[in-house]
Amino acid sequence: MGLEKLKTVLKNEKTGHTLELKTPIIGASGTYGYNSEFEDFIDLNCLGAISTKGITLEKRPGNSGERLFEVKGGLINRIGLENVGIDAFIEEKLPVLTEKKIDFLLNIAGSTIEDYEKLAQIANENNIKAIEVNVSCPNVKQGCLEFGLNPNALFELTRKIRMNYDGFLVVKLSPNTQDIRALATAAEQGGADCISAINTLRGLGVKVDFVGDKFIKKTVQGGLSGSCIKPVALYMVNQIKQSVKIPVIAMGGIASLNDLFEFMAVGADAFQIGTSNFIDPKICFNLAVKLKDFMDKNNFKDFNELKGAIFE
Amino acid sequence: MTLESTKNIHKGIIKNVEKIAFNTYAIEFFSNLNRVFPGQFISIYCPNTVLRRPFSVMDFDENKNTLKIIFKLKGEGTDYLRNLKEGNNIDFLAPLGNGFNIKKQKALLVGAGVGIAPILFLRKVLNERNIENYFISGFKTEQEVIKGADKTFVGGSVLDEIENIIKENNIEIIYSCAPMIVLRKLSEIANRLSIPVQIALEKVMACSIGVCRGCIIKISKDNDIVNASVCKDGPVFLGSEVVWD
Repeated sequence: MGLEKLKTVLKNEKTGHTLELKTPIIGASGTYGYNSEFEDFIDLNCLGAISTKGITLEKRPGNSGERLFEVKGGLINRIGLENVGIDAFIEEKLPVLTEKKIDFLLNIAGSTIEDYEKLAQIANENNIKAIEVNVSCPNVKQGCLEFGLNPNALFELTRKIRMNYDGFLVVKLSPNTQDIRALATAAEQGGADCISAINTLRGLGVKVDFVGDKFIKKTVQGGLSGSCIKPVALYMVNQIKQSVKIPVIAMGGIASLNDLFEFMAVGADAFQIGTSNFIDPKICFNLAVKLKDFMDKNNFKDFNELKGAIFE
Repeated sequence: MTLESTKNIHKGIIKNVEKIAFNTYAIEFFSNLNRVFPGQFISIYCPNTVLRRPFSVMDFDENKNTLKIIFKLKGEGTDYLRNLKEGNNIDFLAPLGNGFNIKKQKALLVGAGVGIAPILFLRKVLNERNIENYFISGFKTEQEVIKGADKTFVGGSVLDEIENIIKENNIEIIYSCAPMIVLRKLSEIANRLSIPVQIALEKVMACSIGVCRGCIIKISKDNDIVNASVCKDGPVFLGSEVVWD
């Protein structure tokens, strides 16, 4: 496809851990399935990577009731980490990723430090090159976000995962915090190789209808994503970039080439695309092509040069 | 209920937008889609909404390369669609989901409201295959009636005379698309009479290809209750397998 010049390497300069990406564009967790779900639409080998659906130790049925609520410029979801569990992932989903040579980050979530430790061990045993630690799911009752909001807890969690995992360790941060810089620093000090941000924002969708002589109310509380969260994401990525030396994978409302430039301007080293995949299932590929065309036209020899030119 | 099909983003060119009943519109458009089955749906990109909007296919003409959908005016997405003009382009994902599993059995077709759309398409295919069928429809008011059924109920429930109709017509199988409450009641009646019923469900969807797990229902499978996505595992399910809330 001629996307060679989009190749990029995320590197933790301190440890030397690296993650090679064919393009800087990654399908975000929860929007790209487990492995080859988007192959009807694009050649998955042209993607930087996919971040898998969040995987827990045991399989989870997710939340009951309404799971989606559309708002102006965004989407609220409360899927609740429905997933097949790590055993089924390793047995059924991993072989497909391997066979089809799809680069991926295994997204993991847990309720306790021990959950995360076990998941990290399993990833290690199976030679999984990169994991993305979800400490920021707002849709589950226990765990997860609790680690994501307390710098001490996040440091400890990251340290324990690091002790059990030799590959490229990405920690995905929550925007539902007063101090994103402290969290990013805690993850870096705990041994993270990279930060990804942001996960969804807490939101409440409310619909009120007046039928006959009665008000009928419907509410859905969950994580808000989509273009409406982009300014928050830009702010957070900017803050994170100022507080850590490790690379940052940016996400939050990315839907266009210009969005990529905006995130590069605040220091993004790679990108994840989430909600936009639902509108355009080819977007991860289309954006890569647009990025490459821009670079060709304006004589940028590789992605690093482009990134440097925008960020400096 | 697995039917093979190639999913993709397709371009459509509007042939006609027509008001067919109160607040109800039909759109016919040209496309290069070569195959779609009754019960399958398409998901149309609406520039003024975040998510695409799913619609059951009401008719498909493989000779003229036209598709037809109907919708009730609900919000910004349907308002965009209503205002499309002949020659305008649309962007849609198709074909999506699994359609009705057509059997060579005497069929009762039950459509209510705009849920009549896939049933109209199914009726056409059953007639083409010379499969005997009887078609009933239901609407809240006279102004909302969409034509095409053998018998139409207005005001009450489409299920008011269902047991008699089943007996009088020696019905062996039922296909339906209607509001959830009607489908639930219909499934209960069909189960009691030991008649298989296939129902097309509707739910708010995000990805429409089975990835996001946003449109989940519960079904019973192998003595267990499991999640199924309306967009990919459905939208057609057996009435006997759906676990109602």
